[in-house]
Amino acid sequence: MSERTMAPARGGPPDRPVYGPAPSNLADVLERVLDKGIVIAGDIQVNLLDIELLTVKIRLLVVSVDKAAELGIDWWRTDPMLSSEAKDRELANENERLRARLRELESAPSENGQ
Amino acid sequence: MSATARYMFAVARDLDVAQLSGARGFQGAALETVEHEGLAAVVCDVDLAEFGEEPLIRNLEDLDWVEHVARTHNDVVWRVAAVSTCAPLRLVTVCADDESVRDKVDSLRSGLEGVLDRIEGRQEWSVKVLVAPRSGGEPSPDTPATSGADYLRRKREASDRRRDLSVDAMRIAREVHDLAHAHAVASRRLAPQDPRLTGRPEAMVLNGAYLVEADARDAFEAAVHAAGEQHPAVTVEVEGPWPAYSFAVLE
Repeated sequence: MSERTMAPARGGPPDRPVYGPAPSNLADVLERVLDKGIVIAGDIQVNLLDIELLTVKIRLLVVSVDKAAELGIDWWRTDPMLSSEAKDRELANENERLRARLRELESAPSENGQ
Repeated sequence: MSATARYMFAVARDLDVAQLSGARGFQGAALETVEHEGLAAVVCDVDLAEFGEEPLIRNLEDLDWVEHVARTHNDVVWRVAAVSTCAPLRLVTVCADDESVRDKVDSLRSGLEGVLDRIEGRQEWSVKVLVAPRSGGEPSPDTPATSGADYLRRKREASDRRRDLSVDAMRIAREVHDLAHAHAVASRRLAPQDPRLTGRPEAMVLNGAYLVEADARDAFEAAVHAAGEQHPAVTVEVEGPWPAYSFAVLE
């Protein structure tokens, strides 16, 4: 299955790159063929496929986050550099802080007035 | 005999179809090319009973099927990349016939040319940084906590230890990434991989993809290996060269 004839034998152009072996690690293969590469909408309904591919991806790739949390290694969730979820949460937190402050300020005059 | 369609693996430039002779796609089907103004789509026949819309929905839920198709797809891309400048397509791009393949290539022509220009003479490298799970764990106390305060203190200490290690691992990951990036023309940080798929217990703190000029590969590899030696607390792995999947993306 994985027999690959390397670049044009002796007589071929000398400047062609010789590739390393294909990754045996399934995660390396899947994250590239499912997630990267050129997306062309084929004639087979692609919207539907995206949803199905997504479920496969979630099962395979996102599960690691919970697994890691179980092991106590969940710090990237809260690192905005690494996690969009953390970025969202950061925004949500800031939002909440601002709302609280606003409530405080809005209620202030009536307190003063008493 | 059931109906067939055309499965697209990649779009290539400077591809001499004779160099693919003997290469096979799915179910032993021969690889063919559909040429369009200097670009060649690499295709093979597939059975609609397997790659039609409804069968695909079922099949994509089957990890064994996905693995087989992914590896076959990947092997073909590898083979094409070895003899041309090649932009891999995402898995299961299926068209009705050659006419439709040509239409798709035509409609994305300038984008495809742009991608091929970007990756020509360059390859993708993978750099991963892994941390052993125990290093983040809690040492099991040999004596039970003497009080609530003691319990809380121990919890806090364990959590501090974990954070220190995490901060270290994160800093190392960033250092390795910056270093690799300095030897590359482009880079991307991908999501860490599931230990069940890698078959390894370590936590991945860097899963980087780097687009490297063919003649810069020695410098790139040397730099990443040196970074690995500087940080014995983590495992630094470098693999490549691979076809430039992570950089073959249309804007």
